[in-house]
Amino acid sequence: MTARPAGRPLVPAYLSTGGVARPSRPHLERLSVLARTEERVPPGLPAAELALLDALEGGSLAVVEAAALLGLPVSALCVLAAGLADRELIHTRAPIPPADRFDPDLLKRVADGLRALKHA
Amino acid sequence: MIELPDLVAGGLAAGTLSALALGGGLLRLRRQQTRQRAEISALRTQLDGSLRAFTAEVEHLAARRVPAAAQRVAHPHLAVPGPLQPLTVGTPLGIALENVLLALQAEVASQRTRVDAAAQAGMRGATREIQAALYRLQDALRRLQQRYDEPELAQTLFQLDHENEQSLRRAQVAAVVCGAWVGLAREESHLVDAVTGGQARLAGYQRVKVHNHLEPGTALVSHAVEPVAIIVAELLDNALRHSAPDTDVVVSLEHVHHGVCVTVDDAGLGMTRDERDRAQRLVAGDAPILLTDLGDPPRMGLAAIGRLTRQFDLGVDVSSASPYGGVRAVLRVDSHLLSRLDPADRPPAPSAPRTTRRSGPAAPAPTHAYGTQDAVPDAPRHHTPTDENGNGDGEGDGNGNDGLPQRRRRRTRPAPAAVPEASAPPASSRPARRPEEAAAALGALQSGTAAARSGAEAAPAAGAPTATAHDTDHTHDEGGAAR
Repeated sequence: MTARPAGRPLVPAYLSTGGVARPSRPHLERLSVLARTEERVPPGLPAAELALLDALEGGSLAVVEAAALLGLPVSALCVLAAGLADRELIHTRAPIPPADRFDPDLLKRVADGLRALKHA
Repeated sequence: MIELPDLVAGGLAAGTLSALALGGGLLRLRRQQTRQRAEISALRTQLDGSLRAFTAEVEHLAARRVPAAAQRVAHPHLAVPGPLQPLTVGTPLGIALENVLLALQAEVASQRTRVDAAAQAGMRGATREIQAALYRLQDALRRLQQRYDEPELAQTLFQLDHENEQSLRRAQVAAVVCGAWVGLAREESHLVDAVTGGQARLAGYQRVKVHNHLEPGTALVSHAVEPVAIIVAELLDNALRHSAPDTDVVVSLEHVHHGVCVTVDDAGLGMTRDERDRAQRLVAGDAPILLTDLGDPPRMGLAAIGRLTRQFDLGVDVSSASPYGGVRAVLRVDSHLLSRLDPADRPPAPSAPRTTRRSGPAAPAPTHAYGTQDAVPDAPRHHTPTDENGNGDGEGDGNGNDGLPQRRRRRTRPAPAAVPEASAPPASSRPARRPEEAAAALGALQSGTAAARSGAEAAPAAGAPTATAHDTDHTHDEGGAAR
């Protein structure tokens, strides 16, 4: 991992997106996974988008991981990722929803029923 | 008849004589007196005249010359009127009056610097407080940016951060003009980060296009980081302010012999000669800065640059015109303010423009990771076009300059194939000199050496040698002009 200097950052975050914080596609979340596509990088991309592509060279990353790696806030990274996804330079995948947990009441009742069956 | 005694007669005679003498004396005395009276009255009128002249001179001094002399302290181009009577110049009176003016000017000047220093101290204290408060605000805003990523809120936070950066820049520049420290200690940073950081402090920063031609890892020593950011911000502010909103401001970072140059070009109005001279005077930072000289509203940017260039041994030049029609400002950072950072260990900020330089052949030892990573794909890239001869504009990434030599080579290759014997010698770039030309060249060389040997002895006889000498002079001149 890169060690970010502890001091005050010289370049503010808004510069990375040109002051835009509203991503062009709304479904990106902190845990969305970003991965490079096979698409060739066109010339003239902004520096921050190139930096994100470089960060994804090693494999897929979650939005929040990429943000930490580049030292940018998640909001700025979402804008960058959405822009790259629009050009089909990266894939985005929604976070895996946490599996539904069973209702503890139901489990308890089933256990009670089983126990009742055993004793009966 | 009474016989008068001799004594009496003598006395009478003496009396008469003395009366005559006295009368004559009296007469002479009276005449002298009238002459003196005339003289006195003449002198009195003369005295009156000169007193009037003196009064008029002093009145003129008070009414005209003193105000002019006092104004001249602030505006050196003003002329102080001379004395009313031109004849007094050089007389003790004239010298005394001049001394009055000189003493007045000295006193006004010292009062002026004293008042200005007091104003600067007051402003310095105020701006330092404001600056510290704005840094705290910045910290708070950045924490909020990290915590909340809801787009509408993030948008507002970005706007606030940008506004805050602009206010910070104003406060910082005012403090620097008033002789304060830049107010922030930074650590060693990439030069391109300092430039991009300066760019971020401006309204309309989207119009700035930065071209980075530096070696990867070119950095600034810690104490030069903030000054360079401030200077770049001020130069860019001038450029943005004085150019149309639909034009770009072009910044390029390049290595020069003594360090690094940051060139800012705008396509704006440009400056007149007077403005340019004034700007150059200000950024040179030689003269002490007075707030009263900066106008109302005070134009602090150039003055701040002047302070910083003098303090940190930076060089700024605004005296040349840009090829785009506006102003070209050049900031020179000398080598003693530069250092190196390993870009693999501490990469520049993600928003900082990439360098256009491939770190393949010229990469110095420290940049191991980047150097090898880039050198490996670079090497085959050089070969593939010549082998395949086909896809000229392959990877549009950064190798536009790779396509050009390849085309040139392909075009020169058929030419030697058509004339095989001419291409036989290895130095085939200049074999095409015809025999006549060779003879002419050798002849010129011969006549030249002959002329030099014959020296001064045969000036009129050697027409041809002098002609050749003249020719060589001419070419020298041309070379000089071209350079």
